Amino acid sequence: MSLTGSPNQKLVLLGINHNTAPVDVRERLAIPPERLADATRTLLHQPGIREGLILSTCNRVELITLQESDADGGFSPDLPRFLHEYFSVTQATLQPHLYEFREREAVRHLFRVASSLDSMVVGEPQILGQVKESYTIAREVGAVSTNLEALLQRTFTVAKKVRSETQIGSSSVSIASVAVDLARKIFGSLQGKTVLLVGAGKMSELAARHLIQHGASSILVSNRTEARAEHLAAEFLHSKVTAGVIPFDKIYEQADRADIVITSTGAPEKIFGRSHGEHFLQRRRNRPMFFIDIAVPRDVDPKMNEVEGCFVYDIDDLQQVASANLADRSREAEAAESIVSREVEKYQQRLQVRDNVPAILALQQSAEAIREAELVRASKRLSDLTPAQREAVEALTRSLTAKLLHPQLTALRRGPESTPED
Amino acid sequence: MTLLWLRVAVLLYGIAALAVLPAALYDRPNWSRVAIPVTIAALLFHFVSLAEMLNAAHRTLPVEAHETQSLLAILLVAAFLAVFARYKTVALGIFVLPVAFLLTLVPAFRRGQETIVPANSGWIFLHIALLLAAYVALFLSLLASVLYLIQERRLKTKQPALRGLPPLETTDQIALKTLLFGLPCMTAGLLIGSVLAEQLYGPAFFSDPKILLAFAMWFAYCTMIFIRRHSGLRGRRAVYLSSFVFLVIVAVWAANQFSSVHRFTTP
Repeated sequence: MSLTGSPNQKLVLLGINHNTAPVDVRERLAIPPERLADATRTLLHQPGIREGLILSTCNRVELITLQESDADGGFSPDLPRFLHEYFSVTQATLQPHLYEFREREAVRHLFRVASSLDSMVVGEPQILGQVKESYTIAREVGAVSTNLEALLQRTFTVAKKVRSETQIGSSSVSIASVAVDLARKIFGSLQGKTVLLVGAGKMSELAARHLIQHGASSILVSNRTEARAEHLAAEFLHSKVTAGVIPFDKIYEQADRADIVITSTGAPEKIFGRSHGEHFLQRRRNRPMFFIDIAVPRDVDPKMNEVEGCFVYDIDDLQQVASANLADRSREAEAAESIVSREVEKYQQRLQVRDNVPAILALQQSAEAIREAELVRASKRLSDLTPAQREAVEALTRSLTAKLLHPQLTALRRGPESTPED
Repeated sequence: MTLLWLRVAVLLYGIAALAVLPAALYDRPNWSRVAIPVTIAALLFHFVSLAEMLNAAHRTLPVEAHETQSLLAILLVAAFLAVFARYKTVALGIFVLPVAFLLTLVPAFRRGQETIVPANSGWIFLHIALLLAAYVALFLSLLASVLYLIQERRLKTKQPALRGLPPLETTDQIALKTLLFGLPCMTAGLLIGSVLAEQLYGPAFFSDPKILLAFAMWFAYCTMIFIRRHSGLRGRRAVYLSSFVFLVIVAVWAANQFSSVHRFTTP
């Protein structure tokens, strides 16, 4: 069975990804978004390619093609050569890293990719958007029509199903997103919340930006080098939040203005102790404070976590949550794999039914021809019948033919696993 | 027919009480799509049953023990649905729905006989309804405080937070706002009761232990709101405070047994 119902056409998927190729190979095949249309057009012009799509992300480059056999019945398109020529990479460099899937396995692979089961971080949400972008571009250049269109629409449905029926993408697996998740568990919405950055490390800045993306509206920066704090605060102003500086020697007097404190100084001693936490909470009338301590050595005394209303997470705590979430995703991935397998089966059956339509029509026409021929042969013997009796004979023969054909037609409609006895 | 609707409601409360567990405790939010419609259906059947019950008895107000119990369950479930509509959390259902199930179970299978309110006494009905609403509010507030405590402990001990439970700040809002809703209900309920008692029994009514406890309850309720609002009390201490006031309410309820003028049954 082929994707199109025609034995002259085959679905072939060729690619490399993070599992098969190191980054120095993947980066040579990366296609920037502005060149994707051109690359897809070039792929479509390869001999024997009827429809095609290129999926290019930082972790994979895949060519999904519907190929047509030549006059001898062979399939001529040489996809590795296309890669070699288009990207000017030697075949020897590429060949060991390439994988190829055909027909059913290509469908399965595509479903898995779009469902984020083949991603470096299983369950990450970007891949579906990337597949959709590739599809949009391929449609615009006319590289996707009936067959790939149907396959891709099914792919999107399967990916959505996986996301809605499993928890594969529901937990955070990066330090910054774990910090955001925890903040939301404490504060609910981050709208109107103030974040204080103590120290100006890259990681704390990233976490702060993540919090801003999720609604935090005010950033305070405190650093031993005040100029650095001012520079960072000015950078945050571009993110459309209010930003300010707290002088480092005023930190204990003003830190309670913040709901979330991210610390990443290089100080050898703890900056915040339990008594500071008690003091802050008292001034805040017990409104909670969340301390994200990503400094090593730590800036916040773990005993502060004992203060009611203070929540202290250090880098190991965050990492532990991220790892636990990753393990959760792996468990959910098993359920997602089952969904994909079922969907591949369903898709194949649907194709089978579509493939069988000509056979069904032929069978019905043949039976009808036999029925009519038999009626003609018997017409002399039936000449004495009244119109009503003729009508009855007509109905009887039709009914008989339909009943005799029913098991065969049902089997053809159901697909390959069924038998006439089903 | 009345009992049939009530039994359907009991069954639906039971289903909703089970469906809410995976939604709130096992990270299966899709189950709330079962729990909420089933709860709404249960509430409708429950309401129809109560209306039919009153119609059959040719009354407009619940006066009999089972009818009052039924009304309490309706108020409780309605409050749960109101909290869900406002905060999108089903966590309170873990406790509210089983309580509603139990409150309706007995009336659904046994006809009540005890009349606790003189028939056709609108003011007494209002007195009871308002106090029941205040009890429901305090009960929900206590539940919210307990949920706050559970989630807070999990976050403090670095265990994965329960996804079915709302964020701490939301739980705190639920706990405070339900209390703020309950106070006017309790105040109005007590005032109506006092005016009626003054008319029926005169000033002697106010020396009854039940009545004194009722005013102590009101005072405790006010104090709790004051403390919560002004010190931002949360977590463990908030649970202790709510539990204390809840115990006072239970004591007020139990004091009916010792009161000479305020009893649930009427001759």
